[in-house]
Formats: sequence, C-alpha cells, structure tokens
Amino acid sequence: MNAFLAFLKMDLKLAMRNRAVLFFNYLFPMMFFFVFAYAFGAKQGGTAVLVVTMVTTIGILGSGFFGAGMRAVQEREENILRRYKVTPITPVPLLLASVCLGIILYLPTVALMIFLAHNLYGMPMPQNLFSLFLFVCCGAAAFRALGLIIAAVVNSSQEANILIQIVYMPMLFLSGATFPLSIMPNWLQVVTQFIPASYLVTGVSGILVHGESILQNSKSVFALLVTMAVGLFIATKLFRWEKEEKLRPSAKLWVLVVLLPFFLLGGYQAWSRQELTKAKIVEREVARNETFLIQNARIFVGNGKVIESGAVLIKRGKIENVYEGSFPDATALNAKVVEAAGKTVLPGLIDMHVHLGATGGFPEDWTKFNPNTSAEHELEAYLYCGVTAVRSAGDQLDSMLKLREKFGTGEKLGAQLFFCGPLFTAEGGHGTEYAKYMPEAMRTSFNAQFLRLPKSPEEARKQVDDLAAQHVDAIKGVLEAGVPGYTFNRMDLNILRAVVDEAHAKHLPVALHTGSSQDVIDGVALGVDSIEHGSLIDDIPDATIAEMKAKNIAFDPTLSVVEGFTSFAKGDTSLLKRSLVQQVTTKDLLNGTEKAATSDQFKSLREGIGHYPMSLQTGGNNLLKAWHAGVTLVTGSDAGNFLVMHGPTVQRELDLWVAAGIPVDVALQAATNNAAKLLHADDRIGTIEKGKDASLLIVDGNPLQDVHALSAISTVFFKGERIARSQLFEQK
Amino acid sequence: MNSEPAIYVRGLRKSYGALEAVKGIDFEVASGEVFGLLGPNGAGKTTTVEILEGLRPRTAGEVRVLNFDPDRQKKQLKDRIGACLQDTNLPDKMTVTEALDFFGSLYSRRADAGALLKRLQLEDKKDAGYATLSGGQKQRLALALALINDPQMLFLDEPTTGLDPQVRLEIRDLIEELRAEKRTIVMTTHYIEEAERLCDRVAIIDAGVIIAIGTPRELQEKSANQSAIEVTLSQPLKDAAVPQWPESIRSVVSEDRHRIIVYSKRPARTLVEMVKWIDSSGFELDDIHLSRPTLEDVFIELTGKKLRE
Repeated sequence: MNAFLAFLKMDLKLAMRNRAVLFFNYLFPMMFFFVFAYAFGAKQGGTAVLVVTMVTTIGILGSGFFGAGMRAVQEREENILRRYKVTPITPVPLLLASVCLGIILYLPTVALMIFLAHNLYGMPMPQNLFSLFLFVCCGAAAFRALGLIIAAVVNSSQEANILIQIVYMPMLFLSGATFPLSIMPNWLQVVTQFIPASYLVTGVSGILVHGESILQNSKSVFALLVTMAVGLFIATKLFRWEKEEKLRPSAKLWVLVVLLPFFLLGGYQAWSRQELTKAKIVEREVARNETFLIQNARIFVGNGKVIESGAVLIKRGKIENVYEGSFPDATALNAKVVEAAGKTVLPGLIDMHVHLGATGGFPEDWTKFNPNTSAEHELEAYLYCGVTAVRSAGDQLDSMLKLREKFGTGEKLGAQLFFCGPLFTAEGGHGTEYAKYMPEAMRTSFNAQFLRLPKSPEEARKQVDDLAAQHVDAIKGVLEAGVPGYTFNRMDLNILRAVVDEAHAKHLPVALHTGSSQDVIDGVALGVDSIEHGSLIDDIPDATIAEMKAKNIAFDPTLSVVEGFTSFAKGDTSLLKRSLVQQVTTKDLLNGTEKAATSDQFKSLREGIGHYPMSLQTGGNNLLKAWHAGVTLVTGSDAGNFLVMHGPTVQRELDLWVAAGIPVDVALQAATNNAAKLLHADDRIGTIEKGKDASLLIVDGNPLQDVHALSAISTVFFKGERIARSQLFEQK
Repeated sequence: MNSEPAIYVRGLRKSYGALEAVKGIDFEVASGEVFGLLGPNGAGKTTTVEILEGLRPRTAGEVRVLNFDPDRQKKQLKDRIGACLQDTNLPDKMTVTEALDFFGSLYSRRADAGALLKRLQLEDKKDAGYATLSGGQKQRLALALALINDPQMLFLDEPTTGLDPQVRLEIRDLIEELRAEKRTIVMTTHYIEEAERLCDRVAIIDAGVIIAIGTPRELQEKSANQSAIEVTLSQPLKDAAVPQWPESIRSVVSEDRHRIIVYSKRPARTLVEMVKWIDSSGFELDDIHLSRPTLEDVFIELTGKKLRE
C-alpha cells in the first residue's frame, strides 16, 4: 500500500511536469471537443452529448494505449524499471498506480467538457453524474490495463508502436468514437460489437443522453472490469523489469485473452443487437435535440387561431416559442433556419382509425409478405405524409406492443402509435370474419390477439382490466348487426355497457364501431367516447346527434373507407394513383392491388362488396349534421381496408369532408387538436403551442384555401427532428 | 563481528537454456568485509551478483545472503541490502530529493535523506531534475539511493566505470568510509588498482568458474610471476658479472652500471643475499626497490585476458 501510494504520488508529480502528458490529457481533448462541437453543430442542438461522448472515448483510448502502454515500455527501455527491481516491491503497486493515474488525470477533462458543453452548448446537466464518472473510471481502468498488457508482451517500443496501432485504430474508427454507427453498413455495425471501445461510447452516451445509471450498463461495466482484472493479472505475471529479458512472439496472444470478455459480449450483442439498438436510440435523441426556427410561415395553430405570418422555434424536441409577426434572428437563437415563406405550418395530422394489420390491398407475391415489416412500413409511410400520429382501432395486441416499443423508443422512426389492441365483439360478430379462412391453428392464435368475446359483463370487465394493464390507449367495441345478406351477431348491450364502464373506470376512452343508426343510438346511450363510422347506410337521428353533443361524444365518420370499398367494387383504382400513395406504397402492393381490382379471381368479392348498401352520400350527410349540431369531429380513415392505403389518409379524408361541405379549418382542427384531445394526448400534440412536441407538417401553399395543399408536403418535423423523408424507408 | 558469513555460496550454478553462465562456484564473504569480483566481460560476475541480490533465480546450489535465501526470501533480502546496478536511470524530471523520498518509502527502514545528501555532496543539487545531473552526480545519487535504507550489505556493480578520475577518487573515498562503517560490500570492478586498494578479498571469475580467491596480496604471491629487486649503487659496478644469488632467476645490470635488477621467485631470500654481497664488496647502497607483480599481471596470467577487453 505504501509503495502504491509512493508510486501514485510520484507518477502524479512527474505527469504534472510532463508537457506531453498535459497536452494529451487536457489540451488535445479540448481541441477535439471544440472541433467536433463545431463540426457537429453543437450550438444548434443536442449534439454536444455526442461530442462529449466521443472525446471522452478518444481520451480514454489515448490514456490507455499511449499514457499507460507506451510509457511502461519506455521506462523499461530507459532502464528505469531496472532501478526499481532492486527494491523490495512487486510489479503490482507500480501497475495499479499507472491505472489510477490515468483515471485521476482524465476525470477533470471529462468534468470540464461537461461544464463547457452545458454552458456553451446548452447540454442539459447529466442526471447521473456519479454514474457517469464511475463508468468513465471503469473505462479508463480497463483501457489502462489494456495498455499495460501490451507493454507487457512487446519487446521494444517499435513493437509496441505496431501493436498499439493495430488495436487503437479500429477502436478509434469502429466504435462510434469518431463516426456514428448509423452511417456504417450493417455488417460493420456487427463488427463494432466486438470492439471494447464501442461499449464506452454507448455507455457514456446512454448515461448522458438517457439519464441511465451505471446499473443499466452492467454488462459493459462487467466486461470492462473483467478486462481490467485479467489485464492487470497477466501484466503482472508477464512483467519484465529489464529490456534484456525478451518474451517469445507468441506471448502477444495474451492480448487476445484480455479482450476475450469483449469477444463474448460482442457475440451476444451481435445476436441481441441491444447495444446497437441503444446506439440508434441515442442518435435519435440527439437528432431530436436540434434547434430550428421555422420563419415567415403561416401558422395553423390548431386551436382555431391562424397566424398569417410568424415563426416557430423548436428546441430539444419541443415547441419553444411561437412568434406572431416579428421574430428574433435565428443566429441569436443558435437555431437553424427553416425558411417557410409561402408555406403553412400545421400540427402533425392524426388518423384516429387505422388497421395496421391490413395493407389496404393485395400483395403481388404473398410469399414475400411479412406482416411485421409491413406494419413498420405503414408507420413510416404515415410519417412521410405528415401524419405524425395514428390510432390503431383494432389490431393484434402482441404486434402493437412490439411496434410501440420499437417506434416509441426511437429505435425506428415512424408515426407515433396509439392503439386499442383487440376488438370487443360478439361470437359471430363483426370482426370474427377476418380469420374465417385461416388454418385452424393460425386462426386460434390470431383471434387470441385480435378479438375479445366476453360472455358476461364480469368477463368483459376482466378483459378490459387486462388490456389496461398493458397500457392500451383506448378500448374498441363493435356494435353492428350488418345488413341482409351480411348479418353479424350484435354484441349484448349489457356486456358492452360493462366494457364502457370498466374502460372509463380505467380512464380509457371507448371507440365504438357502429354500422347503423340503431347502433349509434345504443352506443351514444351507453356513453362511449367516439362513434366510429356512424352509419353509412341510414341517417342518424337528430336527437342522437344532439345527445352526442351533450355528452361530448366525438364523431369519426371514416368517409375514406366508403370511398375505398365502392371504388374497389367498381374496379376503379384511381385512389392508387394519387402521388403520395405512389410514393409510400411498395411496388409489390401497388401492382397486386391494381390487378386484384380488375382480375376475375376477385370478381365475386367485388360484386359482393358492390351489393353492400353503404353510401358516401349518407356518411357525408351524417357528418354535416353532426358538424351543424356542434359535435366534436375527428378524422379517421379506416386505412387497411380496400384501397385505403396507409400514408396520406388524413389528406384524403379531408378532401372528402370538404367535398361534403365541411369548412377546411373545421376539418383541420378535427385532424389535429380534436384528435389529440380524444387520444388524451392534447398536453403533448395537436396544436402549435409552447411546450408541445415539435411534431409538425409544413406544406407549400395554403390548405385553408385549397385543401389539396395538404399533399404538397415541404417538411415534416417529428418530436423536434427534421425528418429525412426520403430515407424513412431505408431504415436498418 | 558476526561469526556467520554474510554471504555463503556453495555449488552455485546458473544456466540460460543451453548456456551455462555460472558453473558451480563456492565462496563466502564475512560480515564487514569488502569483497571484489573480478573477471572479464561475460565471466559470470553480474549474474552471480544478481543472484545474490535476489534479482535472478539460480539453477542449482546453495546461497545465503544475510541468512536469507535470495530466491525464496527476495522481499526481506531486498529490504535489507543496498544495490547500485550498472546502467540504471531515473525519470528525467524526478528531482534528487524526490528520488530519495520515493525510494525511501519503498523500504521498511530509511536513513536520513538530508545526511545522505550532505555526505554525497548533493545538497546543491537537491532540487535538480535527474536529467540535468552530470555523470558523477548521477552516480553519487545512485549511491545515495543504495544507502537510503541504511543497508548492512551493499552491492556495487562497477561503481566507478565511465566516471572521470576525480569523481572516481571521490567514490573510492566514499567506499572506504562505508568499509570503515563495517558494512559488508560486494563489488565488481574493471579497475584493478581499485580492487587492490578497496577490497579485503577478491575472487577472479572466468567462464563461470572462480579461478582464484584470496586477499590481493595472497593472489600476488601465488603468482608464478617474479618480483623484481632493483638496487641502485653509489659507484658503478667494476666487474662485468654479478653472482647468481639464491632463488634468483636472472639478473640485469644497467648501462651506467649503477643499477642491478634481479628477478626472483622468493625476493625476501634473494634480497638478504644481495645485501650481504653488496656489503662485502664494499659498495654503498643508494636505493632499493622491490616491485611485486600487480593484480593485473596475476589476472592476465590466470585468465590469459586483459580485464577490459
């Protein structure tokens, strides 16, 4: 212990007198810090955390390989170690002191960088400073030990130089310390998982960006500590005091033994991709931290107000400020300019009624069709079109949970997903027909995720509770008897009442599918929160509409699905030819659907649909009546049904509303603020107001004059990130 | 003085693979003795010393140093000895005081650093960095560091090699002082006169074997070389020849016939007869000089090599 302290004290004193040590520990990282900060635009956004992460990693690598490794070799070559050899010490205090020296020398740099990043670049102070420093200590210790093992196995400083370069270079360039992992091809990303420095990068950035604790990085910490322990042990065993003592060349393989924990961890990570996922999420969060000023824009606020000329300041993913008329200079705000003269900024659009499990058509090649990737593609398509949030109104619960995890964390980029999960319906009711032609085994598992068929109010309550525990966003009920020729068992109203009451007890809104005015009457009487479809076959009575207004029950008329069905029945595929639909739909699906709409194979299906008495006229009338009565309107498309293709759904729905006689501003408010309220998410989305998520759509022209302008998309912002729309479908 | 030998070596062998550097040597060093190891380069001196210091394991044999086994009680042994190795360095920026302080903290016992600085005339340099010291100052610092634990036993490997004559003399004076303090000293050297002057006993090692051991005098006497007796007479010799004195091998008369040089195996006996002859012949003796063979001569005779090659 005395010897250790003596070495540490002396090492520190000597380090403070050594210009090279001071340069590499302090000046050099600071240079990198400022250069990186400039290159990554730290002033305009959250990249400061990346800069701190990268420079911290670069510094730890340098400290380990050059500070510990090279120095140890030089001391041996200069016969300094030889002098220590005659004293009554073992190599242990000397090596331990070297490890501790690295930590002590480098921690101030990390602290200084955090201080500078916070004060110069507005980086939020890390919540877990202690974890951060502890993690940096583990990293520094492990890399000092790596440097020492290299020193232990080489016979000369020339050999040390070569070996250090071989290990150092890949760590520098393939760890995320100098390039973000996301720009690397997939196979190279897998390679990075075998490189210890990658874990430094993800660990430090996770703690900085996510506010993770050291415990959430336990695998990395464990691997670092094992490397340190094994490295020190072997460095002690192979320690040589004199340059004349040579080791055989094969001794260099010990370096591989020390890296073994990372080979194992790398194998595990290459399989689980946990760390790579985390790296992606961190990069996403950084991308969401940029500062933008959308200037000279017309702003559709969403609360009924329109600012004819103004600006929106976006900072750290939120709307920081909305300026009416004049606005400050972007450079003074450290913001990137988004010029929007002649354009209109709107809150991201919301589709309240989609089915992600259905494509809207027929893939040409079913063997290539994968329902999981298809659903992911659909969320990407929505975001591409400026529909920044969707509510799945009936899908398989398990796939929704997976999607929410993947998109909610930011691992993948797509519209924000809200979902009801399975449908509550009756045995033989609407919803049960979809799995009818599936093989038995598949049908059972599909229906378990897709349907809830409660036999009693108690069972219904229990099922609602279970869904609430899974944090669904709403409960979807089905009340529908069908029409002659297409009859369904209608849900028992007592059971439905139990569903509604229990959902409300759990603070969940209930979305009720209705097929006829009777269904609407019963649903409104039960006090559901939204009527989905209303009636497309008959008129909803005025009294019921008045009751909807009185009970604040929203109306989601889903005119799109009527149009889709009737077009398909007629073999009219003009809906597929809309520009945005062509942009976001896969060729396979476009071609297959085009064929299906005219082929003999689906003739009987088309004729059957053609006989269904639904009418756009009826739906439009009910919508107009509801609007006149002051009922809250929301937009839903029922995308996934025939020819209602996922993507620009809200745009088409609004076209139909406007055609039915609804003013554009009313329609747009239904697609933004009203929808957000129904989602219980109006504290975050739906309007352009200070503190809301910066999920915005910028379109050319003025949709308030011409609703078609909604399809002339200029830019989409999602949670503060300016979306590279063309790259959405190439996400790895 | 302790009756136990400070160093006891029996049948010591050291092999590096196929190469046998030390081939079974025996010697003892008494406590308080200054013991010199002489030999040409590669003879096995440094290997032997490093085995004694606990720096190298031995291949075979029995070794006790201060009653410790240098292989198995390395730490205790190193704590009690001082060593001054060849070719060692300290970090450039370490000052003299820091070096003493640092090395002192590695031992269980430490001498007064201030006194050591004074004794080694390093007081002026106490805050100077190692790199700024002259060769002599570095060697004095090395000696100071060897003394920092106030050791009973010192190993000095070529303590004066590469130093200028003035410094060499200073270091020799210091070693004499240490000898006077009854510290046991084992030294290797290339300077024969150093060994003659400083060592109580020397061992000559060649090719891993001790070929001679004893006091410098004993070694000289064992030598087959003759001593030379040189007498200077006040008057020149008249006769051409001088007698054949007992034990003498040959005689030479100088050109001015004032000096006679007689080579002898037993100079004491020859000298007595010579003096008798001079006396009886009526010559007056001006000067008499007896020159013995140097250790260098002995060394060359025994090893066939010069010490420094």
